[in-house]
Amino acid sequence: MDTSSIVSADSVREVIVETLPPGIDQQGRIFGGDAPLDSLGLVNFLADLEYKLAERFGRDLVLASERAMSRKNSPFRDVAALTDYVVELLGE
Amino acid sequence: MNQQRVILITGTSRGIGLGLARHYLKLGDTVCGCSRAESAIDEPGYTHFGLDVADEPRVVAMVRSVARKHGRIDVLINNAGIASMNHALLSTGATAKSIFATNFHGTFLFCREVAKVMIRRKTGRIINFTTVATPLRLEGESLYAASKAAVESLTEVFARELGPTGVTVNAVGPTPTPTDLIKSVPKAKMDALLARQAIAKLGSIEDVINVVDFFASPRSAFVTGQVVYLGGVVG
Repeated sequence: MDTSSIVSADSVREVIVETLPPGIDQQGRIFGGDAPLDSLGLVNFLADLEYKLAERFGRDLVLASERAMSRKNSPFRDVAALTDYVVELLGE
Repeated sequence: MNQQRVILITGTSRGIGLGLARHYLKLGDTVCGCSRAESAIDEPGYTHFGLDVADEPRVVAMVRSVARKHGRIDVLINNAGIASMNHALLSTGATAKSIFATNFHGTFLFCREVAKVMIRRKTGRIINFTTVATPLRLEGESLYAASKAAVESLTEVFARELGPTGVTVNAVGPTPTPTDLIKSVPKAKMDALLARQAIAKLGSIEDVINVVDFFASPRSAFVTGQVVYLGGVVG
């Protein structure tokens, strides 16, 4: 478990990429537009990701938060946006 | 076949929740319970969490703590509930908020968090609690009945959304049982209520356990989105 108070974007990105379902390109879209994940696929991915983030960083995050849902651009759209979002949550 | 399951039950300090917890402990299952009150159970195999089911961060922490410790949750029983019998025009906004917070919001939070654990293993049983007061449109129970109608809708839609995941979601609707929840209801009102059931008597905790056992069974994998009322009440 990474117990440092400042979590690097690289370590978060690493966990996200490890968790990506098969067939999802780490440079491409995760969800929305022409992404291959449907709603249930996203639900499964986020459930896995919450579990792995807790294992790695010791924090119980709820990724589908008010903040995520109210954003104009979904933080779940690609790896870069999701990484920024998770780093933000872990920094609170 | 039913042994050694990990079962999470809300509202285990008294009444039906306490009865369910003792039942599953007797069967050899591991039971994790919660309530605002202190634990009423001191037995091996039982872990208690003191929390309000509407407190989202505490619910998230409890569910993930149970999942980390046991590696899975096989059955969720959303039993925690409160009632307030009063004429609708004499009911306060604060009471409405409080009833919906415990009965609906609490059920939703546990369904959401436990389902995340269950879908990773592609199996699980979620059992929610409704009431015969909802289909009977019981006078004096507007807030309680409405909160449970919301639980029924939640159950039915959750069941559809989780259908492909191997997780089933059902609800049981007990009749009045001799618990604290009904102790303040006048006898005449209770008799009138019971008269509207096909089988006009108080239910027992064993009656409720029977239906919960059915929904929780590994053999009930093809049963989801169902609401079963006791006492012959028809929805």
